[in-house]
Amino acid sequence: MRKSQNQFESLLTARSRSELRSRVGGSGVKVTLPQAQQLVAHARSLEPAVQTLRLGIVHTYTSDLLDPWLELAAALQGLDLQTYHAPYGLSPHEAEPHSGLVTHKPDVTLLLLRREDLHPELAKPLVRFDRAQQETIAAEALERLRDVVGRFRAQKVGQIVLTILPPALSSELGIYDAQSERSEHAWWASLKARIGQYLRESSQASLFLDLDDVLEQVGRSTFFDPRLWYSARFPFGAEAAREIARRVIGIGAVIKLPRAKVIVLDADNTLWGGIIGEDGIHGIALGPDYPGNAYLDFQRRLLDFQQRGFILALCSKNNPADVDQVLKEHPHQLLRDEHFAARRVNWQPKSSNLQALAEELNLGLDSFVFIDDSDHECAAVRQALPQVEVIQAPSQPVQLPGCLDAVARLEVLSLTTEDLVKTELYAQERRRRESKEQAEQGGGDSRDYLLSLGMKMSVGLNDVSHLARLAQLTKKTNQFTLTTRRYDEQQVQEFIRATDWLVAHFSLADTFGDSGIVGLALIHIATPERAELDSFLMSCRVIGREAESAFLHTLLRRLAEAGVKEVVASYIPTPKNVLVENFLPEQDFEKCADGSYRRDLVKTPPRAESYFPITVEVSPGS
Amino acid sequence: MTIFEQLRGAIAATLKVPPDSITERTRDEDLASWDSLGHINLMMTLEQTFDLALEVEDFEKLRSVPAMIEYLKGQGIG
Repeated sequence: MRKSQNQFESLLTARSRSELRSRVGGSGVKVTLPQAQQLVAHARSLEPAVQTLRLGIVHTYTSDLLDPWLELAAALQGLDLQTYHAPYGLSPHEAEPHSGLVTHKPDVTLLLLRREDLHPELAKPLVRFDRAQQETIAAEALERLRDVVGRFRAQKVGQIVLTILPPALSSELGIYDAQSERSEHAWWASLKARIGQYLRESSQASLFLDLDDVLEQVGRSTFFDPRLWYSARFPFGAEAAREIARRVIGIGAVIKLPRAKVIVLDADNTLWGGIIGEDGIHGIALGPDYPGNAYLDFQRRLLDFQQRGFILALCSKNNPADVDQVLKEHPHQLLRDEHFAARRVNWQPKSSNLQALAEELNLGLDSFVFIDDSDHECAAVRQALPQVEVIQAPSQPVQLPGCLDAVARLEVLSLTTEDLVKTELYAQERRRRESKEQAEQGGGDSRDYLLSLGMKMSVGLNDVSHLARLAQLTKKTNQFTLTTRRYDEQQVQEFIRATDWLVAHFSLADTFGDSGIVGLALIHIATPERAELDSFLMSCRVIGREAESAFLHTLLRRLAEAGVKEVVASYIPTPKNVLVENFLPEQDFEKCADGSYRRDLVKTPPRAESYFPITVEVSPGS
Repeated sequence: MTIFEQLRGAIAATLKVPPDSITERTRDEDLASWDSLGHINLMMTLEQTFDLALEVEDFEKLRSVPAMIEYLKGQGIG
């Protein structure tokens, strides 16, 4: 039997979907169409799908042939895929309210366009134009793209994923292109940057999925299958089709599945080669030579994930002092103490340590991605905590640096300033906790402690400048949230624009640092005298500092001043938000017969600012 | 496994039909899912399963099980 057949057969022994996904993602095994169907069947037999993903595809070349690969990627993610292919072409009708696409109610709308769809001149050589003319074409192409994306964005079509097919042939001027002042590559790179800027700044829930990156990964001769391209208008070879499908479905997974937030790392044979307790600090493999250089590159890759907004934690069976010594003293260790938001280094089972980490970080276990080289540890965690995504670190060090690249939930669709400094925020929280413990040991009460923090709350009202973060908060918050309603950026923007809605957010600063935006309230002013609390949520990072009450009563005071007499709210229980079960009664809301809550602002006026250990500043919307 | 049995398994998986619905005489018009897109998927499957490189010109000639078997025999397979 051939090697590839053996490799494939071994995939089918996976015992859980997450194990199968991890193996397929890390294996690099080529998969034939019938094998893809076998994998789909195997994935479905392991566990039922957890979510439906509705995908709409608008295309100016054949798209149906992507289907088997889309199905494979979806089955591996536990998504039941419902795909709608619009009629061939970029028809404006698809962006109308009752089109096939809009009726399909897609979660993700994939636009498969070619360069010439952006400008007719791009069907002919670009290098016949001088720089100024090329600039005009770029500006017109961008304008056309804004029009196309804008039309779809105006409808409820979910997350827009824009792709532009690279040319089937290499650059027009051949090897001289890189040097030419009319360089096609340079022109395209600059236009791509402007497309990215436009989507980032002006179009919500829209992502540019760069097919050039897929082409780089698989190579042009693998990316294109000229036989299919010229005979059936389908450009992709099997490997490229599978990779593009994986990326598209990955975006769906980020939207539909629980958000990943934490990467928990084993230490021995994961962060470095060897076993610190046996090999000692001078014996482990970590440094400029093989295999230490592969571990070094993996650590560097982990810092990339930190920049995407994931926090890092350590979970290792070792003597704490040994691991400490590497973090502090090893000359090549990149990940230092400050890079880890939390650590569990002891001899307890890893599943108990993961649970302890979840409690310490105030994050759900379904936001954890756990990486360990040991078969046994991976299997034990999968067994005990199926909600944790377990990735087995490859046994070959050279495979290690890229081993997380195919984990869909480690992709991000937007980045906020909070994401970039997240580990620092958690580290602040760790210092705050330590300070609190000290205060308690000194016999002080908790109000004295809170006052000593010198907390300042900034409340922003109807402020469109933080849409990405506000939408992110609705999507990521699971514990301190009354209704767990998820909204995308476009929906949040609609609330802000609506005159009968109040969108309020807050950030909290104290002597240890600034939390960034951590709380959000969406209030519907149903009548001049009656308001409804649609959403009220807060990041668990700032819990225990009375911020939630200070924020709520600030808003209640404003509503009362505006003449509102009663506020209606509801608590929608989920498996995760038991934390706020009693929040409304504690804030003087009364439970009504229908299960909703009501607070009379006249009989029971909101509490004054001085009631809370926090100074509040309110800025009206921009 | 005979060449027909191998072919039957590959066609059934690709076109998502029961293996029983494929005989040694089946051709494209006998199966609804053997349409123009299904045919291209089948060509890919044929290549990957039997490690072949088909020409675009071969695609049109291989619209039936007997034609496929004959082609594979011509390639020294089976």
